Amino acid sequence: MSTPLSTIDQFSYDNKTVRNFAIATIIWGVVGMLVGVIIASQLFEPALNITQYGTFGRIRPLHTNAVIFAFVGNAIFTGVYYSLQRLLKARMFNDTLSAIHFWGWQSIIVAAAITLPLGMTTSHEYAELEWPIDIAITLIWVVFGINMFGTILKRRERHLYVAIWFYIATFVTVAVLHITNSIQLPISLFKSYYVYAGVQDALVQWWYGHNAVAFFLTTPFLGLMYYFLPKMANRPVYSYRLSILHFWALIFIYIWAGPHHLLYSSLPEWAQSLGVVFSIMLIAPSWGGVINGLLTLRGAWDQVRENTILKFMVVGITCYGMATFEGPMLSLKNINAIAHFTDWIVAHVHVGALGWNGFLIFAMLYWLVPRIFQTALYSEKLLKIHFWIGTIGIALYAIPMYISGFTQGMMWKEFTAEGTLQYGNFLDTTLQLLPMHIMRAIGGTFYLIGAILMAINLFKTMALGTLLANEPTEAAPLISDDSSIRGGHWHHWIERRPIQLLVASLIMILVGSLVELIPTFMVKSNVSTIEAVKPYTSLELEGRDIYIREGCVGCHSQMVRPFRSETERYGEFSKSGEFVYDHPFLWGSKRTGPDLHREGGKYPNAWHFQHMRDPTAMSPGSIMPAYAWLMEQTLSTTETQAKLSAMKKLGVPYDDVQINNAVSDLYAQAKLIQTNLANEKIKVSADKEIIALIAYLQRLGTDIAKK
Amino acid sequence: MFKQFISTIPGADQYMIFSLLTFMIFFSAVSLYMFFIDRKHIDRMKQLPFEN
Repeated sequence: MSTPLSTIDQFSYDNKTVRNFAIATIIWGVVGMLVGVIIASQLFEPALNITQYGTFGRIRPLHTNAVIFAFVGNAIFTGVYYSLQRLLKARMFNDTLSAIHFWGWQSIIVAAAITLPLGMTTSHEYAELEWPIDIAITLIWVVFGINMFGTILKRRERHLYVAIWFYIATFVTVAVLHITNSIQLPISLFKSYYVYAGVQDALVQWWYGHNAVAFFLTTPFLGLMYYFLPKMANRPVYSYRLSILHFWALIFIYIWAGPHHLLYSSLPEWAQSLGVVFSIMLIAPSWGGVINGLLTLRGAWDQVRENTILKFMVVGITCYGMATFEGPMLSLKNINAIAHFTDWIVAHVHVGALGWNGFLIFAMLYWLVPRIFQTALYSEKLLKIHFWIGTIGIALYAIPMYISGFTQGMMWKEFTAEGTLQYGNFLDTTLQLLPMHIMRAIGGTFYLIGAILMAINLFKTMALGTLLANEPTEAAPLISDDSSIRGGHWHHWIERRPIQLLVASLIMILVGSLVELIPTFMVKSNVSTIEAVKPYTSLELEGRDIYIREGCVGCHSQMVRPFRSETERYGEFSKSGEFVYDHPFLWGSKRTGPDLHREGGKYPNAWHFQHMRDPTAMSPGSIMPAYAWLMEQTLSTTETQAKLSAMKKLGVPYDDVQINNAVSDLYAQAKLIQTNLANEKIKVSADKEIIALIAYLQRLGTDIAKK
Repeated sequence: MFKQFISTIPGADQYMIFSLLTFMIFFSAVSLYMFFIDRKHIDRMKQLPFEN
């Protein structure tokens, strides 16, 4: 207040980058949700699997990547670029970096949209993009980091508001997660193998997958909540103390919980238990955030009645509360035994994604766009319709999926009085769920219509107003030797030191990560060795890559859990030692179709051939798409040798003879399968892709049986 | 199981205890700070989003 006028800095906020990210959020949001509705519909109408580029297996990752990294990602940047400048009283560090960040991120999204339908995938969920795109993500993320820290360093506000801590934790953790889970050995421009195998690969992937939820879908949104909710309700956050406490607890505890995605799997028991314990503990910091959010509205509930933007926030935070209560419950082993691999998980994820992320994003956009365009929202009526249609959409999506999940989980475990499986044919359980899947698609369509209404409303608003590209403002510069800020508590100290805050956050997340990951890599006894387990033949390896390309892992698990209901249905439960040559692991996370780990030898080659050509011919009523192109496309063997060599580098014991003869061995094995099919009156050339896939399917899980 | 794991890797027990202690000490320190934090500072921080 006492600063002389001459020392007040005149500067402006960059609203253009905010506008660009907001437009990208809207467009990619609609695209991602549209793909979601398409894949939801494919699960009851297989005819919607149009061409090999549009099958469920290939475009399901397109949906997840589009909504997570394109819709949510752009929304994070919109909110961060808007709030960071204002909280720090500084323009973004560098306009060129802002532009590189924006266009770089959009290019990555376009690259994903092209490569995923082409079947170029690493198969790690939410990390499917191949290595060149992974490198691009790293570079653009670094650009974002430089731009963010550059802004922080040239700030005019000494203390960092809690929202910025969440942004810093997001930046540092996503960087660690992405790099660790992207260490691959390239074979060619768009093909690589993960350096990790089997159990270790599974642990790294779910450490990543779980923490992508934590640090991409949660922490940045808590930051946005702490900035935008007080602004929207025009009242400060309920408890700043609580925000500090739950920040540290959240970032420390979240990182340990990944193994709850692998309960009853071949992951070492201690790692599973650790995951459960920390998952339960997570309720506390998560609900700290929920309570802080909802109580910020104390005494302002009359505003909520009138203000639709606040309604979006209330539903969003409530959904966060529901999802973060449900998550720890799902990590309890007895509940997980029923819920895992079922639609229950899909419901859980979508309560968080549609409610928490989606509704927070909608509220933020409705609040922010009219402000930077200096006008009122085009239509309050459309806004209200969006809120209601979106809320009904969430309910119509989630409720049928919960019912479907319970039904599925219970049907898989149902035994007759005689002790045999009540629903021995997996298809019985699939067909039972179709009405629920239809309702889910309707719910998703409601939600999509809401998003389209928002797009119309916001684009009309933009057309009505004028963008204030450079918003003029002023603030006093920081005085470096200001004696008034000396002293105070130690935390007071860290609140004004961004680099130290970053280091402290990094230590917090590394502690849990290292405890989980290091022993699984170092301790040999964690992965038992099974002598009978041998590397795949060159033909099987090529078949496995087709399995990966087609995204079979999206619907089929390869992990028989140690339950009677599973060993009765599929065979011997899966052992960690069986996956030592699996780069990457293909355990899957959802059973729309049956588990395939013990598929080898279950059916003749001819059955697989006919089944892949027309699944309904062998399983009437099947919802699996037909894979007719596998009978027509010639298997490429140009990389076969390179693939074996790469595997050898990663520790798979191929010898030089096997590598040198990779292609001739491949054709020799293919010829055997071709002859076998010919005996069943099926004419097919030995060099077709289907032969390799059959070889792989027939190999699955047979090492132990051979013993 | 947990015990068995700890005994299989040399130095792992110290590392586990160290990591837990790191968090416990840090968390306790933050909790304590909550009680002694300056009210004026809290009010000032709460107002930050409204300054622009």
